[in-house]
Amino acid sequence: MKNNIVAGNVVETQDLTKTFGKDIAVQSLNMQVPRGTIFGFVGPSGCGKTTTVRLLTGIYKPTSGKLSVLGKNPGDFLKSDREKIGYLIQQFVLYPQLTVWENLNFAASFYGVGIFRGRHLNKLLDFVELRSDKHKLARDLSGGMKRRLSLAATLVHKPELLFLDEPTAGIDPILRRKFWDYFKVLQAEGQSLFITTQYVGEAAFCDLVGVMYGGRLLMIETPDGLRRKAYGGDVIGIRTNEEIRFEHRQQLESLPFIHGKVKIVSDQEIEVIVDDASSAVTILLGWFQAQKLTVAMMEQKSPSFDDVFIRIIETEIKND
Amino acid sequence: MTRFFKFLIRISSFLGKELTEIFRQPKLILTLVLGPFLIMFLFGLAYPDQNRTLKTTFVAADPISFQKEMDVFTKSFNSKTFDYVVESDKEKALAKLALNQTDLVIVVPDVSLETIPNDQQAEFLVYHNEVDPFQIGYIQSIARIYVDEVNRQVLQSATAQEQANSGSLQDNLQTAIVKTQALRQSIPSGDVKTITQVSDLEKNLTDLHEKLTTFRSLTPGNLVSPFSSKVSGLFGGTLTVTMFFAPAVIVLLLQHVSITFASLSIVRETKSGIMELFKVAPITAFETLVGKYVSYLFFEILLAGIITTLAVWLLKISILGHLLDYAFAVVILLFTSLGVGFLISLISETDTQAVQYSMLLLLASIFFSGFFMDLRLMREPITVLAWSLPATYGIRMLQDIMLRGSSVPLLVFLGIAAIGIILFLIDWMLLRKKMES
Repeated sequence: MKNNIVAGNVVETQDLTKTFGKDIAVQSLNMQVPRGTIFGFVGPSGCGKTTTVRLLTGIYKPTSGKLSVLGKNPGDFLKSDREKIGYLIQQFVLYPQLTVWENLNFAASFYGVGIFRGRHLNKLLDFVELRSDKHKLARDLSGGMKRRLSLAATLVHKPELLFLDEPTAGIDPILRRKFWDYFKVLQAEGQSLFITTQYVGEAAFCDLVGVMYGGRLLMIETPDGLRRKAYGGDVIGIRTNEEIRFEHRQQLESLPFIHGKVKIVSDQEIEVIVDDASSAVTILLGWFQAQKLTVAMMEQKSPSFDDVFIRIIETEIKND
Repeated sequence: MTRFFKFLIRISSFLGKELTEIFRQPKLILTLVLGPFLIMFLFGLAYPDQNRTLKTTFVAADPISFQKEMDVFTKSFNSKTFDYVVESDKEKALAKLALNQTDLVIVVPDVSLETIPNDQQAEFLVYHNEVDPFQIGYIQSIARIYVDEVNRQVLQSATAQEQANSGSLQDNLQTAIVKTQALRQSIPSGDVKTITQVSDLEKNLTDLHEKLTTFRSLTPGNLVSPFSSKVSGLFGGTLTVTMFFAPAVIVLLLQHVSITFASLSIVRETKSGIMELFKVAPITAFETLVGKYVSYLFFEILLAGIITTLAVWLLKISILGHLLDYAFAVVILLFTSLGVGFLISLISETDTQAVQYSMLLLLASIFFSGFFMDLRLMREPITVLAWSLPATYGIRMLQDIMLRGSSVPLLVFLGIAAIGIILFLIDWMLLRKKMES
């Protein structure tokens, strides 16, 4: 496996499968995560995201298939390999009886960070905006503060690769956004991030998104690529001053660059899917003019990732 | 940074964490320090150094004359043991016993000293209402001592009577001797045979007279009980109940605290989920275990020091042996007890289960460690169980050091050390399995 690794991939799997008895948790997972990227692992609860992370961190041994993390099988990790990895667990696992500082200090010690680490820890607390709360007991922190403390503890040894298992679960949208700002900073510092989330909208912040469903990885795409794959192309919204009649819609659907059915929003507004929005807009403007329909608005639509995700899953279920 | 330095840093993470968590619970610390001290103090107060006084009801046919006899009797017998009343109605006395208004009912046989020459044995009937085998044993001993004392008193009284009676016999003998002397002088000197016979008779009578003089000069008490005993211990001192139990109480408490702390440690971390983080982090099972051992040992040595200081200073419990021996014994006891605690923690699914195992072990230690039952009374196969408990070794070591002034008994020390090392290895193996699974 080591020899087959593509240079620059921090994670690579081939037909990675994990079963628990008769239950298949992860099935034939194939993926590559390039170094320096934010890789979003999106899927509903129970789809196999955490199992995948546990396989990649070496907590679980695969039932079959191959995997490589930082060029090594996690089962063969040495201490020096583990020092390059940071892992944020879904729930808060630090010690409620200890203060923020003591928890961070504990994490630093068990990762073997040198004893002159005060400045580094303070910087981390600044990063997660907890410096003023460093003497608070963890049990007195809010849910969001606990997540930030956990993140700081994950970063304490400056890992190359971060596995963050649902870091934004259960926290408010403002804080979620802040977390993604932190992740962007970490990426800019050269770290690679493997982030699982069930908030589909967060896919927009990732460089690459893997969509997981029922233990299977349905696709890996860029956020835009995901939209295109979900809809089969770009979505263009058109509104006219006149009514768009049935025969108009029929003619539109017969055009070669239009995919699928025309979606009716109202009598005067429709949505169409095209191969490439930039080239299709000019042709469509000409076509509407020829039909003596005055175009009041024509723009490329950006469907929400919730819609994208639902469409992908629906297609998957249909194909099954 | 060298690997060894990193190893030390990783171990130190647990030292800081565990100690901070403990010291952040002042009530817990207060309980741990004052609890054992108070238990020992109350224990000393609760058990005075004397036998239980038995409220006894004697049933006698003639209570008034028996009361007089008892007044004489209690002067020679340990009167603290008996707090008595005399009744004439046996049924009434037994009813009082059933209601626990009296501890013993002793029915005095309706016989006089005159029955003794008839070769008849009179029987004292002793009734009790105890269920505790130890108390029954105590009552049986007391009854036996009581009857022995009664027998002694009867013999003494009979002897005194016979000494008095022998006065006239001695006078008669004196007269017989004088008459024999006169008879010897009246025999013709040629009759050597008769003179010899009378001289022998005179000699026998004189011997008898002298023996009777000796018999009359001896006190009846020495005649009846010519032997007594005096018991001395090699350690040379007298132990109070508190002093005797202090080493065992210290051992049991230190073992229990160690086991409880350690048994909750890993099971809680497994439950909280941080064990998952340990699995991914560059920390090994060995480092984790050593870190935990060091943390708890540090805290418990401190605790043992405070408890011992309080016991010596406030309860005046002495340590006759060397303090260094005491320290060695305590440290090895704590090390082995921690091993037991971590084993419980590694095999328990929940902290409730861990607490239950710890409590069971405490119970086993109370019953089988020699805490209040001497191990020499135990059946042979069961002693294996006794010697698998750290407390058994701990009690033996501390009793020897504190009460006898001996050094650490080497064989006992090696035994507990071997168990401690084996437990450490098992714990290490189990934790490694847990961190790898």
